[in-house]
Amino acid sequence: MKTSSDEPIIRIENLCFAYNADSENPVVALKDINLEINRGEYIAIIGHNGSGKTTLAKHLNALLIPTKGDVWVKGMNTRDPSCLREIRSTVGMVFQNPDNQLVATIVEEDVAFGPENLGLPPEEIRERVDWALEIVGMLPFRNYAPHLLSAGQKQKVALAGAMAMKPECLILDESTTYLDPAGRREVLDVVRRLNEEGITVITITHFMEEAVQADRVLVLEKGRIAVQGTPRQVFRWVERLRALQLDVPQVTELAWRLHKRSSNFPADLLTVEEMVEELCQRIGRRTHYL
Amino acid sequence: MIKVEDLWHTYLKGTPLEAVALRGVDMEVYKGEAVGIIGPTGAGKSTLIQHLNGLLRPQRGRVIIDGEDLSDEGADIRAIRRKVGLVSQYPERQLFRPTVAEDIAFGPQQYGLPQDEIHQRVRWAMEMVGLDFEEFKDRCTSSLSGGEMRRAAIAGILALRPEVLVLDDVTSGLDPKGRRDLIKRIERWHRKEGITLVIVSSSMEEIVQLTERIYVMKEGRMVMSGATREVFAHPQALIEYGLGVPQVTEVMYTLRMRGCEVATDILTVAEAEEEIWKILRGNFAFRTLRGMGGGRI
Repeated sequence: MKTSSDEPIIRIENLCFAYNADSENPVVALKDINLEINRGEYIAIIGHNGSGKTTLAKHLNALLIPTKGDVWVKGMNTRDPSCLREIRSTVGMVFQNPDNQLVATIVEEDVAFGPENLGLPPEEIRERVDWALEIVGMLPFRNYAPHLLSAGQKQKVALAGAMAMKPECLILDESTTYLDPAGRREVLDVVRRLNEEGITVITITHFMEEAVQADRVLVLEKGRIAVQGTPRQVFRWVERLRALQLDVPQVTELAWRLHKRSSNFPADLLTVEEMVEELCQRIGRRTHYL
Repeated sequence: MIKVEDLWHTYLKGTPLEAVALRGVDMEVYKGEAVGIIGPTGAGKSTLIQHLNGLLRPQRGRVIIDGEDLSDEGADIRAIRRKVGLVSQYPERQLFRPTVAEDIAFGPQQYGLPQDEIHQRVRWAMEMVGLDFEEFKDRCTSSLSGGEMRRAAIAGILALRPEVLVLDDVTSGLDPKGRRDLIKRIERWHRKEGITLVIVSSSMEEIVQLTERIYVMKEGRMVMSGATREVFAHPQALIEYGLGVPQVTEVMYTLRMRGCEVATDILTVAEAEEEIWKILRGNFAFRTLRGMGGGRI
């Protein structure tokens, strides 16, 4: 039996998009994208600068409307202006540069901006703001002026702002780009936790270590989906990804190089833990013999 | 070349929003060196380097650039800005001329350089950042993608041919290939012409590749400094400071913690490959020997 929750949260059919479509020199950014994103999925989109990642993301909450083809969010077509509000409250978005999304002079006011516009009662707003700041670890900074925060801290405030809207789907457009490794890990932990609680996550990233934690990785190239699959399937293609000007995680590259030297070494390791386990086993066997 | 002594900085001093960003920082950079500054977000890295070309003046302590003391009211800021090129965190915001070539040429024009010298510098700077001269020179700056804007803005600083280049996390936002290419070109420039580099980066791989010496900042103070390799050989401390280490360094360090005799001052994939291969080969060779001898395995 099919229930409404079996429906993909986002469905994209034959999506084409060109900037300046009506002009003499349209710039084609997306070509024939077909994609279904299921509820609760965690998807990473990778691809080099200019491959169409951000353009695709902007279609998912109707910031852009397809030149051809359709995008449905919970069955609502993004072309339908009457659905705009519902679509945008379903799909929240955090951008690369936090300075472009912070609006208020005090952190907690900034986070409250969205819920206030939903017309929620003050207690509910208070609760959501505290919850969202707590979840990103910025509660101690609630009374700070955003412009005095570091880039990473600002990004966490922007993430809290999106979360305060309680979206069902969260899009992160290179949102960890300006964070330090610890900040990135913190944000990723938050994102993973939100995903475990059932929020659909779509993350656009240049950090392959980040893509590894997704359920599915999509590689965009010249506006098309060039490769997709689980991280383990996708990152096996070390040479192909290189040709697309992408990296693989250091651990995967190390495994791949060792595999080339000795074919019984697995080529598809993704994390530090997997690598350490594999090596310990192999080295351990040797100490055993000695 | 650069000497920072007991530097303090407080934002919005005397207001309720007062925030102390630097708490007595000392740092030295010698001519021709490549020095890295790392630290978690909010450590004060950007605040510190904004002092290096006089964007911020010392509130307390001293900043001396090539003999010129910035805490001195009469310091020649213009001369310092010519010497020290700062590429800030969001350099694309510095773009303001209609086309790419015009934007990059703006700085050299202010120096009153002859036209062909300017032209040459623009071409050179665009090549450095990987923007094809013919393709991009007449492109409108607002039509560039995020990565291209960033390159154009960096080229604008490079065209000034500064003696000291200060980079504030400029490669974040570039794709891996763009990042690698830019780093390679900067490295080559540093090697060939002895330009002094001060690099703030959240990419440890980049720090490892570009710098000889690093400072680690936390909460407005310098908490560690030393040769890059030595500092990274103590990943535990770095992780405690909220920093990451390259994945391969973490692999080696974890192996050591689990009792394997491996080197931990491994910074690149190639180094890790060699070190691990040495150990695994020892392993395979031993097994082959036993196999040949007919010994029970």
